[in-house]
Amino acid sequence: MRPLVRWALVAAAAVALVTFPYWSAPWESTRFATTLLRDALVLAIFALSLDLLVGRAGMPSLGHAAFFGAGAYAAGIAGQRLATDQLPVTLGAAALVAALLALVIGVLVVRSEGIFFLMLTLALAQIVFAIAFQWTAVTGGSNGLSGVGRPMLATVDFSSPDLMYVLVAITFVAAALLVWGLARSPYGRALIGVRENERRMRALGYDTARLRLSAFVLAGTIAGIAGALSAYSTRFVSAQDAGLGNSVRAFVTVLVGGAGTLGGPIAGSALVSLIERVVPSLLPVELRISEAILGLVFIAFVLFARQGMVGLGRQTWLRVRSR
Amino acid sequence: MSLELVFQQALNGLSFGALLFILASGLSLVFGMMDVVNLAHGAFYMLGAYVALSVVQLTGSFWLAMLAAPLALALLGLVLEPLLLRRLRGRHLDQVLVTIGASLVIVDIIGQLWGREVRSLSAPPGLDGSVALIGGVYPVYRLFVIAFGVALAVAMSVVYRRTKIGMLIRAGVEDAEMLGALGVNTNRLFASTFATGAALAGLAGVIAAPVFGVQPGMDTDPGLLYSLVVVVVGGLGTLSGAVAGSLLVGPADTFGKVLFQDVALAVIFAIVALVLLLKPTGLLGRIRVTR
Amino acid sequence: MGGFAKNKLAEKRGYTYRLTRRQFLVASSAAALAACAPGAVTPSASSSAAPGKALKIGLLLPFSGVYAELGTSMRRATEFYLKQHDNKLANRPVTTIYADDANVTATGIAATQKFIDQDQVDVMMGVVPTPLAYGIRNAVHAAKLIFIDTNAGGNALTRDTTNCTPSCKSPYIFRASFSSYQISYPIGDYLSAKGTKEFFLAYANYGFGTESAADFTTGLKKNGGSTTGNVAPPLGNADFAPFVTQIKNQPTKNVYSFFSGADAIGFIKSWNSLGLPAAGYKMYGAGFLTEQDVLKEVKELANGAITSLFWAVELDNPENKKFVADFQKQYPLLPDVFTVQQYDGMRALDEALKALGGDTSDKDKFVKALEDVSFKSPRGDFTFDKTTHNPIQDIYIREVKTQNGQTVNTISDKIAKVTDPGK
Repeated sequence: MRPLVRWALVAAAAVALVTFPYWSAPWESTRFATTLLRDALVLAIFALSLDLLVGRAGMPSLGHAAFFGAGAYAAGIAGQRLATDQLPVTLGAAALVAALLALVIGVLVVRSEGIFFLMLTLALAQIVFAIAFQWTAVTGGSNGLSGVGRPMLATVDFSSPDLMYVLVAITFVAAALLVWGLARSPYGRALIGVRENERRMRALGYDTARLRLSAFVLAGTIAGIAGALSAYSTRFVSAQDAGLGNSVRAFVTVLVGGAGTLGGPIAGSALVSLIERVVPSLLPVELRISEAILGLVFIAFVLFARQGMVGLGRQTWLRVRSR
Repeated sequence: MSLELVFQQALNGLSFGALLFILASGLSLVFGMMDVVNLAHGAFYMLGAYVALSVVQLTGSFWLAMLAAPLALALLGLVLEPLLLRRLRGRHLDQVLVTIGASLVIVDIIGQLWGREVRSLSAPPGLDGSVALIGGVYPVYRLFVIAFGVALAVAMSVVYRRTKIGMLIRAGVEDAEMLGALGVNTNRLFASTFATGAALAGLAGVIAAPVFGVQPGMDTDPGLLYSLVVVVVGGLGTLSGAVAGSLLVGPADTFGKVLFQDVALAVIFAIVALVLLLKPTGLLGRIRVTR
Repeated sequence: MGGFAKNKLAEKRGYTYRLTRRQFLVASSAAALAACAPGAVTPSASSSAAPGKALKIGLLLPFSGVYAELGTSMRRATEFYLKQHDNKLANRPVTTIYADDANVTATGIAATQKFIDQDQVDVMMGVVPTPLAYGIRNAVHAAKLIFIDTNAGGNALTRDTTNCTPSCKSPYIFRASFSSYQISYPIGDYLSAKGTKEFFLAYANYGFGTESAADFTTGLKKNGGSTTGNVAPPLGNADFAPFVTQIKNQPTKNVYSFFSGADAIGFIKSWNSLGLPAAGYKMYGAGFLTEQDVLKEVKELANGAITSLFWAVELDNPENKKFVADFQKQYPLLPDVFTVQQYDGMRALDEALKALGGDTSDKDKFVKALEDVSFKSPRGDFTFDKTTHNPIQDIYIREVKTQNGQTVNTISDKIAKVTDPGK
């Protein structure tokens, strides 16, 4: 496919995605699909950021929700304490707080590897969760932070379902472009190099610790922005947003979709959202097999489609083309 | 804190540590032998507890449950290892991922079969009393748990160092390929190791039930979380690591939760973070050469 | 934008229905499934009165996670009530739509949005955890959806608060369960008035626990009582021995505790195995410490515990006796407090609908009808406080005793018509 054609298709898809609530209105009068897609896109941004670590840099983090939660709380608290709802301020606060937290945690974890890295990120994230859960004065504690303001840009109120969706969709497109650009850049290739053979990279003169730390902070910042969007979507922040369940959810999304690819986290978010939100509403609540379904899907992917859905898609495409 | 109080809390910490050791030993064994972090370990622990519930309900015997649960879990392990793990030999991360999937399925099945109510198991008659000790009475069962933990550690150590199977395991830990080349049936060895790890998790489910209870969510908390903490803190894959880990985490968590109440939720993770920051491969961990 | 959308096709065809085809399919399959579930009754065919339009009730309950037991109980209560009433409330056949929040707040918020946007339910019920109730409050209020909370007891949900933090009341939100104040303050007041003034506190370190302990302390202080310290294990704590050991090593023998479910079981077992009863320590608490789910596991270990709640299985009034007997004819177990909460919620809805003649089109009239309900529930007289929409109910002081081979809460006293202060 000629690059220009491919670009045009991608651009068209992006425009269609961002304007979804408007062209879908005739058959989607209840806004249910819009909110579903919005939440799936928030998850996709979160998963894209984790994929930077897990897929590209080879850093399996089980504590990524700490930054998601930090961003969510920062947006909500900044809005309330600074008595402003302007997005540049609150999203800026979310990005800043998440980045700082990622810096602090990153410095501590960056020299670990494998299972130790996993456990260390898990442990430090659980400490963040514990703080969110117990520090009632600041975060609302176990009862959560309610009264998250309306996202405003100058005089435009983004809190309506359609505009909130547009905000999320635009952020998603931006995040996807960023990750795509990074992957092709020398920086992205250096990250892959660190994942494949750190010793050699060091011998080549790269400061591998700094590379990994920068990836960690970047991933944390994007996760923080996803968290802020989530806070504005539901107008509420729960301590669970920073919890282990959320970290595992993102991890599963990345792996099922296909780690290290652009389409992977996106496909994974679609599938996970489908299983979490659509399947339960179709099945009688007694059967309640969404957890077991997720588990079986997971096993199946690992056993038969290790590259995730994107890999499976690629294989099928190749097979089809070679006919 | 008075000296009496310190002594009582020390006993609490030790018995808690003993439970942690019994819980973590299986995970440590499987990792040491097969380089697999079995994230279904918590689900095995949970299944052991629920099997014990049924056995006690049917027969009234806690001791029978202590035999039945490990047996049932061993069977499950013997089925799962060839089914899920064997074809992923060498793909360590994938083996970990597949165990996550297995855990989700097992926990859901437990909910379907046994329901989602909160249950409990009592200590067996004979062990359910309390004895007079410094500072008042102390439950006999917790003293039993300490004794059992010690006995298990000793038994595992003896098997590990003094028997042929232990030698095979030690050799497998060092170099499984070479072992295979030398004519040992590594498939059978790995399957039995995984089965033993599962059996130990099931045993922990029974023994810990009178203290930790039997309820939905127990696979993660305390099951998997605490086993991971002990194994990683102690140093992956070695028996002495699991012992060291439980001896540290047990008392540290007990005292920490009580002294730093407001952050009690975070104490155990603070311990992990502290240890890993000071000794990145755990207390007694060796740096492994990745093949 | 959002909220109740119009079904243009239906309008064009002149239907008064607002269901789209997709919604109809979902609703009818839910109804069909409800018919297949044990204890339910096939809707519509048996009604001989003028059939009203189906009333859609959205129930947000936990069917997985640590509170799954409560969700099952409350679903059973719903089916029990509907079965007793021919699957109708007033003249409206009922369609129930269940959603599982799995004790994850984000899931519950999404499910609520689905109730509002897609299912377009007429009434919402359920919600077990308080954070979830706080999380959906604004969405429910904005959508003007009548929500009858049948468990979550966070005080703020039915109060006036500054900046609506952590939450605040709404005209559309009613509570058929309790406020944590109601099960904590009165017993503090009662005990201190009777002369037991010094207490040590033991409570689970989360919203519900801290709120209960605080309200109890306020009740104590009213009569010059005080607390001498506390232990606060984390929610879901595994080993209670360290905390109970702390209790045993301090001199105050009266201990007010707030734990529920698995925590309560662990706490009570530790309390006994460490010899606290023999050493003269007395256990007091909010009712959930010794509710059915706990007593069936700890049995006589809980004997002597004194707790306060708005109901007990043993409560001796004609409504409760009939309720328990009828329930046991249908199901092989005793009803628990969660059953009662949901059952009363259904009853309140039923009474309001009767007063409205089944017409739920006017929101303000619906709210007024709910505010005006008054009936005899298994717990005693039931009304909503017109200002806060929290129930005005009797609080019973109960003591755990084993009689006839069963360990139950026996009623020893009553504090009549307790209202939540609302601020």
